[in-house]
Amino acid sequence: MKIKFNNRDPVYVQVIRHFKEQMATGVIEPGQEIPSRRELANQLKINPNTAQRAYKEMEEEGLIFTEGNLPSRMTTDEKVFQAVRSELILEAVDAFVNAVRTINVPLDEVLPIIEQKYKKECNE
Amino acid sequence: MNRYLKLVNFEFERFFRFYLILIGITILSEIIGIIVKSKTYLNRAHQEINVNLMPQSEFIEQFGKMSIYNFSQSGWFMGPIALCIVTLLIYVFFIWYRDWFGKNTFSYRLFMLPTERMNIYFAKATTIILFVLGLVALQILLFPIEIQLLKWLVPSEFRIDMTVPEITENLYYLYLLFPKTLIEFILYYGTGIIAVFVIFTAILFERSYRLKGIFYAIIYVAVSILVFLGPALFDAFVLEGYFYTIELFLLEIGAALLVLAGAIWVGNKLIKHKIRV
Amino acid sequence: MIELKNVTKKFGKKQVLKGVSFTAEKGKITCLIGINGVGKTTIMKAIMALTPIDSGEILINGETLNKGSYEKVTFIPDAITMLPSMKISEAFTFMADFYNSWNMERAKELLNFFNLNETDRISELSKGNTAKVNLILGLALDVDYILMDEPFSGIDIFSREQIADVFTSHLIEDRGVIITTHEINDIEHLIDKAVLLDNGVILKEFDTEEIRETEGKSVVDVMREVYRG
Repeated sequence: MKIKFNNRDPVYVQVIRHFKEQMATGVIEPGQEIPSRRELANQLKINPNTAQRAYKEMEEEGLIFTEGNLPSRMTTDEKVFQAVRSELILEAVDAFVNAVRTINVPLDEVLPIIEQKYKKECNE
Repeated sequence: MNRYLKLVNFEFERFFRFYLILIGITILSEIIGIIVKSKTYLNRAHQEINVNLMPQSEFIEQFGKMSIYNFSQSGWFMGPIALCIVTLLIYVFFIWYRDWFGKNTFSYRLFMLPTERMNIYFAKATTIILFVLGLVALQILLFPIEIQLLKWLVPSEFRIDMTVPEITENLYYLYLLFPKTLIEFILYYGTGIIAVFVIFTAILFERSYRLKGIFYAIIYVAVSILVFLGPALFDAFVLEGYFYTIELFLLEIGAALLVLAGAIWVGNKLIKHKIRV
Repeated sequence: MIELKNVTKKFGKKQVLKGVSFTAEKGKITCLIGINGVGKTTIMKAIMALTPIDSGEILINGETLNKGSYEKVTFIPDAITMLPSMKISEAFTFMADFYNSWNMERAKELLNFFNLNETDRISELSKGNTAKVNLILGLALDVDYILMDEPFSGIDIFSREQIADVFTSHLIEDRGVIITTHEINDIEHLIDKAVLLDNGVILKEFDTEEIRETEGKSVVDVMREVYRG
């Protein structure tokens, strides 16, 4: 597990995003045990405080939970996983739409290009 | 206390290899010296008596008998002692400055030890004193060996036997190293120890204030000497011999203790609050 | 907490520190940033009472430094502070002899982690390995605070990576760390707090995550503003 961090977004936000991407793509499954904050800090080469902060936020968002002294786990709620997936899709589409709108391209023109590009990328 | 002893042990070991070399040189030089001196003497005796046919009594009258005294006035004996004295004098400075040498300055570590920094000062002083006493003890052990060696080498009719006290009494300035009485021992070595403390504190002045510190150090040493000699000077030049010797002696001891206390007090202030690594 | 309050210091006529104040909390990595010669090392030495200050106050957990403080705070200078003639094992013994807080188990663990051999003599180690031993001498003390002077400067990339790994491990966790650097890039996302120093004054002291969150700026962005602005 290795992330290339950018220096302008809070590191903990980038860590959460990293988890969300893994949730959306199925790398992490519902109920799966997650690394302790110390392990996470070590794996991602980040400050343990940052790992702590990321987990705290994730717990508040309901992405992970902790029972007693047991290791934290991903939520077992499939709906949360779906919601995360939708959130990421929406975010990506929003960004795309914003970019495209600034150059005033009609939707009809864009869609075939998207289809073509997407297929090409996936085949590579 | 515990860390003080560990520091003494540490400082001792740091110089120990070099110290062993000094001891080795001293032993070798003195033993070889005794042999060489004896042989030279006997060769001359042989030359004069057997070749030049000088009567034995006349030879002894002219050249004297062989004794440790002859040997003790030679470079074989004086050389290593001078070497040891000079080395230890240099080491009084080097024992501090070596901690600042190089990129790996050990002074950082020393001054970050969780102990009173004065323990470092005392440990270094103790180490110097131990080294001095060690060499003096070595010399005292060497004398009987040399006496015995001389007995083997030189026939009794050409030899004057001297005891260890007789030898040390006849060493001129070096007799300071081998005092006869406890009082003398305390006086000579006490003065020496105070001198070491004063030099240590002077070094700390330099280490604390660097260039300006040299100036402070010189003033400090001058003041120390003045205080030390104070009673004697005052008595001689102002009171013109007012005190009895014993009174003056006690005043001198007081002055010496004052100088010692001053060195420790100032040294403590410097090493605790002013020292720079 | 380590607190510096209005600390000043002169070397001869040169005012090296002109009223430096900042704090470093336990459990956080505080980074003193500034080009060489702005007084970073002097600040570290001043905290450890290795150089006297002219005025101001330095408190460690609320008290001024005393002999007991050296069991609570340690300093790892940019060069190793052991006799070069010592073997690593002898250096460890020295530390164990003098510090109650020395943790031999941890020292051995670190030795393994760094792939070093305890029978090696310090003078014969490579630059990178010397830096690692130097680091161990500080990290294996169970102290609350560790000060490190330029731990990344002048060593090879692999040693740098290994040393950076230390910062994300239990060895640093829960302790307070102050590190100095003139080169923030390697460790930008590792630190909690940045203190920008120039010419003996603190220009800015900030929480790195907070500044990213509220202003969307990286540490380098802030440095650019502060030093050029």
